[in-house]
This record gives sequence, structure tokens and C-alpha cells, in this order.
Amino acid sequence: MALPRLIFITGKGGTGKSTVAAAMAHALARSHPVLVADLDQRTSAARLLGTNLNGRGTARIGKRLEVRALSPRAELESFIERIVPLKMVSRRMLRSRTFGYVTAALPGLEAFLMLDRLRILAGEAARDDGYLVIDGPATGTALELLSVAAGLGRLAPSGLLHRLALELEKFLGDPDSFGVVITLSPEEAALREALETAAALDERMGIRRVGAILNGVAGRLFSRAEAELAGKLGEHGQLMARRIELGALAERARRRLSGAGLSVIELPMLFRTSLGRREIFELSQALEAALARQ
Amino acid sequence: MKPALSLAGYRLIVCLGAGGVGKTTIAAALALGEALNGRAVDVMTVDPAPRLLDALGLDTDSTEPRHVELNGVGHRPGARLRVLKLDPKATFDSLVERYAPSAAARDAILQNRIYRNLSQALTGVSDYMAMEKLLELHADRGTDLIVLDTPPARHAIDFLDAPRRILELLNSRAAVLLGASSGFLGQSLKLVDLAARAVLKAFDRLTGLGLLADVQGFVRGFEGMYQGFAERAERAQSLLRDPQCLILIVTSSEAERLSETRAFIDSLRAIGLKAGALIVNRTLPEMPSLAEIAKLKIAPGLKRKLRRNWNDFAALKSREAESLSALRAMIPHRAALAVVPDLGREPARLVDLAAIARRLSGVESEDAGELGI
Repeated sequence: MALPRLIFITGKGGTGKSTVAAAMAHALARSHPVLVADLDQRTSAARLLGTNLNGRGTARIGKRLEVRALSPRAELESFIERIVPLKMVSRRMLRSRTFGYVTAALPGLEAFLMLDRLRILAGEAARDDGYLVIDGPATGTALELLSVAAGLGRLAPSGLLHRLALELEKFLGDPDSFGVVITLSPEEAALREALETAAALDERMGIRRVGAILNGVAGRLFSRAEAELAGKLGEHGQLMARRIELGALAERARRRLSGAGLSVIELPMLFRTSLGRREIFELSQALEAALARQ
Repeated sequence: MKPALSLAGYRLIVCLGAGGVGKTTIAAALALGEALNGRAVDVMTVDPAPRLLDALGLDTDSTEPRHVELNGVGHRPGARLRVLKLDPKATFDSLVERYAPSAAARDAILQNRIYRNLSQALTGVSDYMAMEKLLELHADRGTDLIVLDTPPARHAIDFLDAPRRILELLNSRAAVLLGASSGFLGQSLKLVDLAARAVLKAFDRLTGLGLLADVQGFVRGFEGMYQGFAERAERAQSLLRDPQCLILIVTSSEAERLSETRAFIDSLRAIGLKAGALIVNRTLPEMPSLAEIAKLKIAPGLKRKLRRNWNDFAALKSREAESLSALRAMIPHRAALAVVPDLGREPARLVDLAAIARRLSGVESEDAGELGI
């Protein structure tokens, strides 16, 4: 099954969005050109891939892998520069504090321009048979961002913005162009948020391609008979119970996600002293194998 | 014996933190802990998880304060705990009702397209509304302590800075630009503003939005309410700077949280506020001694597995220790660092929250005594 050109990664805080983005980019870049970008200058996926963007610019990591920091501010600037041809005036305007408030008061403008940039980048990726991996914001912010197109479309019943909004909606709803991957850890809170987000994306926004990546799945270590001894083994028994609980949580998350009709990829819990390039590489291999199986 | 994180002298505790660190749970546990000490406590949450509501014995969330039944967790006389949920839109509506100079002005705002569709998206509105609700609760003299769980901040401290920014917006040339009659300060338009207005007009024409008129109507509608808003914002500002207010940052020990936490501390400092405590939530339990395994009377196969399990968790524990020392290095002078070991399960009952509250009272910081005032 072919992946969408743009893979938008979101999830509750602390569920490994950047880790998954980095691993995904690594996995896809083995056979296709890949651009990894984030929308809020954290550039943590870039850091995990071993390069420090410091919130701006572009860097090439491998033959087919590039990272970039996108920012709403930069999109706004290029929009203003397009619309005000006099550079001196446009620059002064962008520097003025007043203008910051005005654009903040024109709700959704920055988000809209950002989404349109994603649409353009996804088009470029399709042309080169490549992929665009977005290390997106947390679910709440992501839902707001993705609903901007429909929101502005409703506010503007006709005109250019309305047409652009329609185009954006078409893009978001096209399973070959746009897909969302929700990352989650096996805990209840993350699971609930993932299920709610998946439902909102599908029902409210018409985004048809939604999958989940269940992170931190601890492999089974103890047999059922051994598990029953946990209560008698003191502190080591408690540690054992913790391991078993991790497995049970993952099992429950797996059941509920597939019950909700979501396609799920599992990534193993890495019991490592650090999370660096080697670990990302390992996860990318697990991801590649899982994608090949789907 | 570690010194306790004494909260007895505080009237307001603000919990800040990124999403997913357990901020709401910590806020609820802190509130419960203080209530059990015999204080009358209100906790305001943003989006309580169903399990947390269960744990508090509430069947649903409500924007009205709901009493939590404290039986069975050993409370002192006078204990009272109320929970309420923040609803930014409803709070905004009631604020507009209160300060609108006339019924016509009130309706103009409530029916404004921007206000109706997108008021939540306007900079800082929902943050500001949390602040507003806080003032309302604070005015209630029967309450000893308010614990505030804040919306997950997109830009670190949007919430604390909201009153100032709203004031600035209403007070700025932006208001003039957007068509407030003479401007609150009677400023005149500069070249830049004229250009900005031209761009907005062009944008409006280009887009077919006709939005500018709505934005102008929105700002104009607020003119008459400026005084009321300004006073509220000022009071919120001084409340946060009161020595009886404790601002604490909730975080977890994942490496990716470190830079976020630093950003919180720095941006607090930038607006003249200080993090009084850092709470690291859900740390791993202390590791038992590996040598213990040899003494257990179990099959060698199980011993091998226990050793492997120990090694696995020891690796995570060492990753955590590295994060903790990085966190220790960044806490402000005299702020406390509290570590809350993971319960091993999600809190599902009041006793679980009480257990978290007890864990919170073990604080590791030389200066932690300074926290009690």
C-alpha cells in the first residue's frame, strides 16, 4: 500500500512525535527522497537525525534526506512581500509590533499560509516520487491548524480565499496526498487522546488517511506462571510487575485502536541509556519492516 | 529527612507545563493534599481526564465548582475541596455581559462573526479567560487556596502573560489601525500602520472575506469595556507577583522535555516572574539491589529474566538520572525540585491522589525551606 506524499505526525505530548518523524524519514529515505520539516522551530527531529538546525534553515543529512524548519512567521513574511512590492515598506511593516497584533487578530491567517505551503511542498514531493514527513504539533494544536481551511472557507463564501480553502480541503481529504499519523504511548490518557483525535480528523475534517503508531511497546519477558510469583519476589517482583503492566497496557491499546478501525504500527520500547542516532536507526528498521508488511 | 514542600503560606498555586506531563493530576493532588490539611481549596482544571474525575468521585466536569467527598482519606477539620472546569467561551460571554456599556454594545460583540466563530483563536483569549476566572475565585474570601491548572501552553507562558498582552492590544496602535474611533490613547497613524492597513484591505479584497470589518467591529466593541478590562488585567498581574503566589513548573524526565523546561524558566524570567518549584512527575522507582536476585529461591531461568529486567530498567533509570541532573542545573536560585515517583498505575481513586500528594511532600533542595512562607 502506497503511503501518502505528506505524512503529518501528531500526538499527545511525550508520545515520541519527533522520534517517530526521525525514524520514518530514515526508513523512507532508503528508497525515496525525503524532506522532514517541523512547524514550530523545535527542530527536534533534525536533532535526533544528528544535525542542529537551531530552529531555522535547511540541512542535507544524507543523499536523499533533508531537514527544514518551517515557520508561520516566514510564511507570513513571504506573503506580505508578495503583496507589498515596495521592499522598504514591507520590511518596516514586518518589524513593527503593531503589525504583529493585527495579523494575530486576523485569525487563522498564519496557519492558513502554512497549510498552503505544505500543500505546495507535497506537490513537489509527488513530482520527485518523494515524501514529506512533518514533525507536527501536539494534537490540540494540530486539530486547530488542520481545521483552519474549512473555517476560513466558511467565513469567505466566495473569492480567492474560498477557492484556496476548497483546494486545501481537497488536498487534506486525498488519501494519496495527505495522511496523519497519531503517535501514542500505551497509557490510558494517550490512548484516549489518540482515539478522540482520529475520530475528529475523520468526522469533522474529512481526512481519510489516519493511522497510529504505538510507541514504547515492551516485549513479553515473563510467562503467565512466572507472573503469578511477582507478589513473592519483593522489590524485584515489583519491577517484574511493572514490566508486565507495560505489556498489558500495550495489549489493551492495540485492541482498542484496531477496534476503532485504525491501522496500527508498533515500535518497541528501547531500554537504553540514551536515545540517539543508533536508536533512531533501529526504530527506522522496525518501521520499515512494519510498513512492508502492511 | 528531606524538607517538605510547604504550601501552607500560599493562597495561589499556578501549575505550568507542557501537555502530557501529568500537570492536571499534579494540580489535583496538590489541592487535595492542602485540603486534607484542613484548608478550603479550589482547583480549576482545563480538560480533566475521565479517570481523574473518577478519582475525585465526580461523574462529569462542570464549570461550576463541585465539592469532592473527602471521606476515607483522613482529612482535618475545615477541609474543603472544590473542582471546576474552565470554559473560556462562557467566561468571555459573562465578562462581555458585565462590562458592556449598553445592551447594544453587548449584542454587537456577542453577534460579531469573529467573536462567534473564532474568538478562541484570537491571541490569548482562552488564556486570558483562565486568568479572569481566577480573579473571580480569588475574590471569594472563604477560600484559602486556589490551585490553577493552566491550558497546555503553545508558547511557554502565554497564559501568565495574557493580561498584559490583551491590555497592550487594546491600548496599541493596532486598535487605532483596526478602527477604534480615536484610539484609547489618541495616537495617530504612522506610515507603517497605513501600509499595514492597506495590506489588510488588499488581503480582504483579494480573499473575499470582508473580515476586516468584523475585526474592526470587534475592537470597537471593546472600547467601552476598556476600563473594566484594564482593571481586571492589572489585578491579575499583581496577583501573580504576590509573595503568596507560587508558580511551579511540572515536567517529566524525558530528555525532550529538558529544553521545554528551560524555555519555561527563561520566559518566566523575561516577564519578571519566577518559577518557585520544579516538579518532575512520574520518575522511575528506586532500583533494588541486583545481588538480591541470587538469594531468591526460584528457577534459574526466572533469575536470568529478573536480571535482564533489572538491566533494562537500570538503563532507563540512568537515562532519567542524566535528565534530572540537567534539570537540577537549570532551576532558579532558591527554587525547589520535587520528584514524584510513578505510582505504577494511573490514579483511579482519591487515595491514589493522596499518595501522590504525600510523594510531593518529599522535596530535594537545600533551600526548600525557603518555600514555606
